[in-house]
Amino acid sequence: MEFTTQLLYGIDQALLALMIFVIMLGMGASLTIDDFKAVARNPKGVFIGFLSQFGLMPLIALGLAIVLNLPPFFALSLVLIGCLPGGTTSNMFTYFSRGNVALSISMTTASTVMALIMMPLLLTVYTSGIVEQISAQLAAKGEEGEFVIPTSNIITSLVMVLIPVVLGMILKKKSPGWAKTAEDTAGFVGLLVILYLLITAFSRHGHLFVQTPWQAYVATIGLGLGGFFFGFLASRAVGMPPISQRAISLETGIQNGPLSFAIILLSFPQEPMQSQMVWLAILYSTFIVISSSIITLYYRKVGQFDWDVYKNTMVHNRLFGKDYKTHYPKGYLPKNIVGDPSQGASVSQRRS
Amino acid sequence: MNHRIVTKNVALLYKEAGAYFGNLPAFATRDTATSWRPVSYKELYEQGLNLATGLISLGVSPRDHVGLFGDNRFEWILSDCAVQICGAADVPRGRDVTDKELIYIINHAGIKVTFAETQEICKRILRLKENLPLLEEIILLDPKATATGDVKHLSEVIDLGAQLRLNGDKRAEERMAQIKPDDLFTLIYTSGTTGNPKGVMLTHANIMSQVRNLPGKYDMSDRVLSVLPIWHIFERVVEMFTISFGGCTYYTSIMAMGEDMRNVEPTFMASAPRLWEKLHERILKNIKASHPVRQVLFHIAYFLAKQYFQSQQYMFNKQLQLKKQSLMLWYLLLPLQAIRWLLVMPWYGFFNAAVLERIRLGAGGSLKETISGGGALPIHIDKFFNYVGIPVLEGYGMTETSPVISFRTGDNLILGTVGPPIAETEIRILDTETGKILYQSSDPSIQTLGERGEICVKGPQVMKGYYKDQELTEQTITDGWLRTGDVGMVTYNNCLKILGRSKSTIVLSSGENVEPEPLEMCLLQSNFIEQAMVVGQDKKFLGALIVPSLSEFKTAGYEFQTMEDIARSPEALKIIRDEIRRMISSNNGFKIFEQIKDFRLLPDSFQVGEELTNLYKLKRYVVEKKFNHVINEIYSKA
Repeated sequence: MEFTTQLLYGIDQALLALMIFVIMLGMGASLTIDDFKAVARNPKGVFIGFLSQFGLMPLIALGLAIVLNLPPFFALSLVLIGCLPGGTTSNMFTYFSRGNVALSISMTTASTVMALIMMPLLLTVYTSGIVEQISAQLAAKGEEGEFVIPTSNIITSLVMVLIPVVLGMILKKKSPGWAKTAEDTAGFVGLLVILYLLITAFSRHGHLFVQTPWQAYVATIGLGLGGFFFGFLASRAVGMPPISQRAISLETGIQNGPLSFAIILLSFPQEPMQSQMVWLAILYSTFIVISSSIITLYYRKVGQFDWDVYKNTMVHNRLFGKDYKTHYPKGYLPKNIVGDPSQGASVSQRRS
Repeated sequence: MNHRIVTKNVALLYKEAGAYFGNLPAFATRDTATSWRPVSYKELYEQGLNLATGLISLGVSPRDHVGLFGDNRFEWILSDCAVQICGAADVPRGRDVTDKELIYIINHAGIKVTFAETQEICKRILRLKENLPLLEEIILLDPKATATGDVKHLSEVIDLGAQLRLNGDKRAEERMAQIKPDDLFTLIYTSGTTGNPKGVMLTHANIMSQVRNLPGKYDMSDRVLSVLPIWHIFERVVEMFTISFGGCTYYTSIMAMGEDMRNVEPTFMASAPRLWEKLHERILKNIKASHPVRQVLFHIAYFLAKQYFQSQQYMFNKQLQLKKQSLMLWYLLLPLQAIRWLLVMPWYGFFNAAVLERIRLGAGGSLKETISGGGALPIHIDKFFNYVGIPVLEGYGMTETSPVISFRTGDNLILGTVGPPIAETEIRILDTETGKILYQSSDPSIQTLGERGEICVKGPQVMKGYYKDQELTEQTITDGWLRTGDVGMVTYNNCLKILGRSKSTIVLSSGENVEPEPLEMCLLQSNFIEQAMVVGQDKKFLGALIVPSLSEFKTAGYEFQTMEDIARSPEALKIIRDEIRRMISSNNGFKIFEQIKDFRLLPDSFQVGEELTNLYKLKRYVVEKKFNHVINEIYSKA
């Protein structure tokens, strides 16, 4: 497909920048130093999450790109999204899916910091084939020079995006009231801007939706779903408790969407490459909201029982002392939670 | 995994719960906000056996009546457990029992042995001893107090029983085996509108039918907060119900309730309308005090929730249907409602998650359901909580029906009704004038819907009768049908709607009948009005006694210091007059004779135990007597 015009006008870019700022500020406003310390308290969960996010997700993205034979710019964008750290949206979805929120926050925190190293590394490894394709295309058009992944640019944009996160954390320390407001506003703004981008794209480039090959739709929907599925399987295979399975599953599938816009805008300025990459990121961001909502409703339903038991343990430990053991009659607890070590030791208790 | 213990009597319920739920906590007592003492099901039953053996050796015989004067605490339940094991029945009443009531109840019920919660009640009973010829033993419950003189301490009696059981005393177990379903489990004295309290006889079969028939999926991981008075049958049934599924009951108090809700995170509780009114007030106050951005977010969220909820109610046919609905019209509007539902859904989803969840956390965040009973829930409160997603369900019942007759479940959420009757229960609506049967739930041929009349009930929960009052029993129960004295109707989606007490009906001198409750509920929607009672029996028009809200006047910027200042201020009078006109006007569907022509402001609010029952219901006769001169003043010029 060809983009005859630029997808994003100046105003959209400004809006996007603003949205990234607001969302990252909101993310910071929801974090405390304690969340970083919590990573150390639940190393197993965070490690599984790390493997699943930076090990599985890029592979799923690359696999989809190859199987669906995506055009190179789309493929590049998809792999880029696959290599992103998790966003705060996953924490909210985890909360409502009756998952381990503390673990979700720890994973988001850890992966955001680790992304500084992992993203350039993963992109170099996984995009070598795509880069060759792009270079070949450029050569065929008679353009000079070789296409390379702008690693340093990516690191710079990551750092730039982390600035509002730090600002948010400072805000939380200085004025908790404003921090709460920032947190609430962030999600709402995110939703509004995605909607705005979709509507403007639709009104200006209505043909885009038709022109976009079906493979792009399948890839963007499949990336999220694949993340949920494999994240769930992996954490289940290593014997994580159900509440953590749900957290890891959602954390793996939900990437930090706004971050992808920042990186694309700052690191891939060439047209039509930028527009194509942004378009795929918009599609991903839209579909992930819908698919996470559905998955969350599903998890919420199937997770009711183990969540009730988990909550009861929490409350018993809070009120009767942390050494209190709740003895259920034999056969009440199913196998997967009967020996769950995380029950009673999680920090989610303090957060709520 | 749902395991509900259903037995033939309450003693067996304690026994089987002890055997099955074992070390799970049954009851928890608060020391500080985050330090509670649990007692397990096993311990409860073991101690119950000891105490029962002690009671037997003190001379408690099968089918005796044992007094139990006190409020919610673990020792109360332990005493109840022991009394049940003995095959006796308890006669409960709260700490606020008056001397007159004590004398009447102890003598009328023939109480030989009584429990008294505090030192204070012990002393009062001892002081009245001359008037209590039958009373032999007083047992003090409060573990922190020491018993003196003739009074025994609970621990003494338990130790006595434990010693006997060690020596092979099996009398408690033998007693249990002899309990019949028709034996009394409790004898509850309710204050009537006139004369002496009436003793309501409830049997083991009565209460076990409630345990069996209350709907809801609960299990051992559920937590139940107890705040209503335990000697009231509603709270008591909920605690027995909790024992049947193995949940843990946490004893809180009105003062600590907000804090305890957040710490205990209850999943279920029995509640009264007043509790929700208070919580509603607090939530609105918090929102007003919050950041302006968050206020706006809340209002958007509430608006969306309302739209979403209303569409859903329409689509699933769960609206209040007092008149027959045209099916054609319903189908015609269905697509419009479906579109509204779809349009609102994504936004509602987001705001529900980001904003309304915080409000739900104020009630602990884990409430699956809560039943409100003991009075009508004002519709605006009902709507508010159901819109924000705290499922407050309204139930209907009375002590005489142990108590639940009907309640609105989560999947049959028709606001403004008290739901269909619970299992094994039949209802009838009788024409109040002719006595004709308008509706009978078990008979498809007599089902006039939407017509008002007196509600009658038949079912396993209907009491055995009033103790030592055959005449009153016969007046109340005929052929198994109990006359509730309440006026109601069955809606077109087969739910019961309560319209008021037939006894509180005001008949104006023009002959028009007016139910005061709906009018009062409307008046209470005004922030300036804290409490209200509509009067006018045999008068030309309706009048009202109004307790103004001092805090609201202060918030509005008036410099009133006391309620009397308000009562004297012409400005305040005007505000209240306008509020009354706004709330009750022909535009709101009120008829001319239902409008309130005059009113008086009262200098004091109604108090529990005085003008209000423990469940915050108005004692009309008390108010009428106390403010007789004020009422006369309203009608003096006319």
